[in-house]
Amino acid sequence: MKKGCILLLAACLLLAGCGQLPSAREMGDMALLRTMGIDVAPGGVTVTGSTGPRAKGIQAEDEPALVLSAARESLSGACLAMQGQSDSYVFFGYVDQLLIGGELAEQGIRPVLDYFARDVELGLGAQLWLVQGAAAGEAVAAGGDEGVDSRLETLRNDSEMGIAALTRTAGEVYTDLLELGSSFVPALSPVGDETAVLTERGYGILRGDALAGFLEGEAAKGLELLAGGPAADILVEELSDQKVSVKITSAHTQSRLEFQGDTPFVLKLTCKVEARLSEYRRRLEQEGLEQLKAGLEAREQARLALAMEQLQALGTDCAGLGAKAGMFHPAKWQAVREDWPEWFGRVPVEIQVEVKIL
Amino acid sequence: MSRQSEANAPHPRQEPRIPGPLSLARLEEVFSDCVDFSKREVYLHGDANRKAVVCYVDGQARSERLNDYVLRPLAQDPMLATAPESQLFDLMERGALYAHGANRETELDKVVFALIGGSCALFLEGRDDALIFPVATEEKRSVGEPENEPALKGARDSFVESLRTNTSLIRRRLRAPELKIREHIVGRQSLTPVDVLWLDGIADPDTVAQLERRLEAIDIDGVEAAGNLEEYLVDAARSPFPLMPYTQRPDRFCQGLLEGRVGLFADGIPLGWLLPGTIDQFFKTGQDRAYHWLVASALSVIRWMCCLITLLVPGLYIALVTFHPEAIPPKLALSIVAAKREVPFSTIFEVLIMLLAFEVIQEAGLRLPGPIGATVSILGGLVVGNAAVDAHIVSPAVLIAVAIAGVAGYTQPSQDFGNALRLWRFLLAILASLGGLTGLALGCAALIYHLAELESFGVPYLAPFTTGTRVPRGHPSLFRLPLPDMKWRDGPIKTQNRRNQR
Repeated sequence: MKKGCILLLAACLLLAGCGQLPSAREMGDMALLRTMGIDVAPGGVTVTGSTGPRAKGIQAEDEPALVLSAARESLSGACLAMQGQSDSYVFFGYVDQLLIGGELAEQGIRPVLDYFARDVELGLGAQLWLVQGAAAGEAVAAGGDEGVDSRLETLRNDSEMGIAALTRTAGEVYTDLLELGSSFVPALSPVGDETAVLTERGYGILRGDALAGFLEGEAAKGLELLAGGPAADILVEELSDQKVSVKITSAHTQSRLEFQGDTPFVLKLTCKVEARLSEYRRRLEQEGLEQLKAGLEAREQARLALAMEQLQALGTDCAGLGAKAGMFHPAKWQAVREDWPEWFGRVPVEIQVEVKIL
Repeated sequence: MSRQSEANAPHPRQEPRIPGPLSLARLEEVFSDCVDFSKREVYLHGDANRKAVVCYVDGQARSERLNDYVLRPLAQDPMLATAPESQLFDLMERGALYAHGANRETELDKVVFALIGGSCALFLEGRDDALIFPVATEEKRSVGEPENEPALKGARDSFVESLRTNTSLIRRRLRAPELKIREHIVGRQSLTPVDVLWLDGIADPDTVAQLERRLEAIDIDGVEAAGNLEEYLVDAARSPFPLMPYTQRPDRFCQGLLEGRVGLFADGIPLGWLLPGTIDQFFKTGQDRAYHWLVASALSVIRWMCCLITLLVPGLYIALVTFHPEAIPPKLALSIVAAKREVPFSTIFEVLIMLLAFEVIQEAGLRLPGPIGATVSILGGLVVGNAAVDAHIVSPAVLIAVAIAGVAGYTQPSQDFGNALRLWRFLLAILASLGGLTGLALGCAALIYHLAELESFGVPYLAPFTTGTRVPRGHPSLFRLPLPDMKWRDGPIKTQNRRNQR
C-alpha cells in the first residue's frame, strides 16, 4: 500500500513535469489530410487540403477525396478554419505532400517551413513541391475524387528508384536554407483540363527563402548531376555505324576550390558518371566505346555548364558546391564563406566529366 | 480472553499427537467410527492358546501381501506353535514372517500412523508393544506422458501423484549417491510427505536449509493443491508472477538439479518444483537442449518477443490509435480508420471488452470437457468474432490486436507466468487508456520495478539480467549456446561448484 502510494505520487510528479496527459480522439471520426497546398491570398494565405480517397467502411465503397480550403490572415488561422468545414476531426499528422504556390514562393517559404516545424501534428517530413503555372490549391484539387497524394507518392517512389526527378522533404530544404542560404525544390505543373495530371517541370531555385527562378530541361538534368542524385536518363548517341541508347545509372560530382592568395581562383568540378548500354545493334568494340564515351562526356558537360551558368546567374549555390570544396581548405573557406554567394556568381568554373560504361 | 478470540487463537501442535500407552483396546478406540479399520484374530499354527491379532486399514494395506507375508505364516508355521512365548516376538521380527521390514513399536502414535500408511500391526496377548509390517498397497496412476510439456524429441515420462515413484524417476536418472532426499511432513490433517531433493556439493546448502525451515514453519490443515506449498514458501505471495518454477518432466527436473537448484516434491501433486526461481526459468522448455542450439536460440528469442507482444500490444494499440495516431504509418492508419468507421464503441472500450471476451472464451473452453471446450472456442472465437465484425460492433483491427496478444501469450512455456502476463496486460491497457504512451511507459516502469524487487530464496527474480558486479554470471539467458560452451552453472543461485564440464 505504502509502495503503491509512493508510486502514484511519483507518477503524479512526473506527469506534472510533462504537462497534461494527451487527449484521446477516435480515429474513426478523423479526416486524415494527406496533401496540403498553400497559396498567397489577399491579406493572408489560402490553405487547401485533400484527404485522398477515404474508405467508408471495411466492406463499403470508397468515398471521394475530401478537399477543404480556407483563406485567412495566417496559416494557423486557415488550418483552424478548415477544421470547421469538415464533419470529422481534420488531422494534419499525415500530411505527406506539401505544395507551395509560385507566388507564395516568390514572397518566401520560410514562414511555412517554420509553421510546419513547430506544429504538433505537422512536421518537416512532408515532400515539398513548387507549383509552376497554377495555384497550389488548384494542383491539390486537380486529382478530383482520387486526390493527388497517390500521384505524388508515385513520383517520390520513382525518384528513389532513379526514374524521376529528385524529391526533397521540407526538412531537407529548410536545412539547406539555413546552412547554404539557398536550395532547390522540384517543380510540378498541372497538365490537362478537368482531372489534370501533375507533371515534373524541373526545379525551382530558392535564394534566401524566396523563389529566384526555375531550372528546366537540360539545365535541370545538370543540377541533378551536381546534386549527385541518381540522374537516371536515357541518352541516344549517333555513332559512326549505329545508333546506341545508354542509360545513366549514377552520377557523382566532386568540387574543388582553388585559391590565389585568399581569393577563390577557380571552381573545379569533376563529375563521374556511370552508364549502361541499353540498346545497340552490334556489340561495341574499343573504338566505338571510346566514341560513345566522348559523346556522353560532351553532353553531360554541356548540361553541367548550362546548369552552372544559370545558377551563377541566380547567385545560388544550391548544390552546396562551395561548402563541399571548402572542406579541402577550411581556413580559406572560412574567410570567403560569408561572401560565397557573390563569389559563386563570378568565380570561373572548370568542368571535367568522366564516363564509365559498364 | 473472550470466547471468540480464544476460538481464533493459534493452537500449538500436540506432540505426540495421540498420547497414551499402546494397547489393542486403545488402538480400537482411536479408530472408532472408522469403517475401514480391520482386525483379524489368528491362532498360531491352529493353537487356540496362542493368539495374535493383526490390525490394518482396509484399502491402505494390500490384501495379497497381508495374506501371504503375515497371515499365512502365522497360521501355518509350526515353529510359532512350539517356540517359547517369550521368543515369539523375536522370531516374528527376525524372519518368521516374510515381510521385507518389521519394526517393533511401543508408542500408540507411531502405530496409528503406520496403519494409515498401509502397514499392519501385530499384537500378542500380554504384551505392550506391537510389530509393524509394511504391506502397503501400491495402487497409483502409471507413469504417462507429460500433457502440459509435450516432448517431441526426448523422454516421454512424467511425474505422477506418488511421491516415491517421482523420487525413483529422479534416482534412475541421477544415480550419484550425492543426490540427497529429505522428507518433511506438512499438513495437520493431511500429513503429506514433502521431499526436498538436491545434489550434495552442487546445490547451495543455505537454500536447502532455508527451504526446510520454511517447510517446517508451514502449519496448515492439508496440502491439496500446489498453492498450498507455493504461497507459503515464496517471499512475495502477493505478486502474480510465479516464483517457484515447476515441471512435469523428470528430465527437466534433473537438469535443474544439475544446475544447482533444489527440488521439491509433494505427495499427491504430480509435479516437481525447482528453487530458487528466476525469470529465465519460465522461458525455458524441456526441448531447449534437445534441439540444435541455433534453433533453440531462435525459439527462445521468439518466446521473449511474444512475452512483450502479449503484454504490450493491446496497450500500444490503444495508445497509438487513441492518443498518438501520428505515430502510425499512413497506410495502416487509413486501414484502421476504414475499419473503425460505423463501429459505435470507443477504441478503449472495444479493446478492454475484447480482452475480457477472450478470457471468458478461454475460461469456458477450459472448464468444459475436451470436445465441448473446443466447440465453445470455435463458436466464441470464430463465429461470434466474425459476426461482431460483420455487424460493425467490433473493429477488425481491434480483433486482430487482441487475438495477436492472446495467441502470443500461449507461447509461454509456463502457464503461471502467462497468467501473470495476462493480468498485467489488462493493467497496461487501462493505463494506456488513461495516458496514452505516457501511461503505458509508466506502467512498464512499474512492472520493471515490481519484478526488480522480487526475490526467490534470496536470489533476485531478474538475476539473469541484474546480478551485481561481484556475482559471477552464467550463460546468456536469451540464447542457448552450444552445450560444449556452456561450462558454467549460474552464479546467482550460489552453486558450490560452478564448473559443469571439462
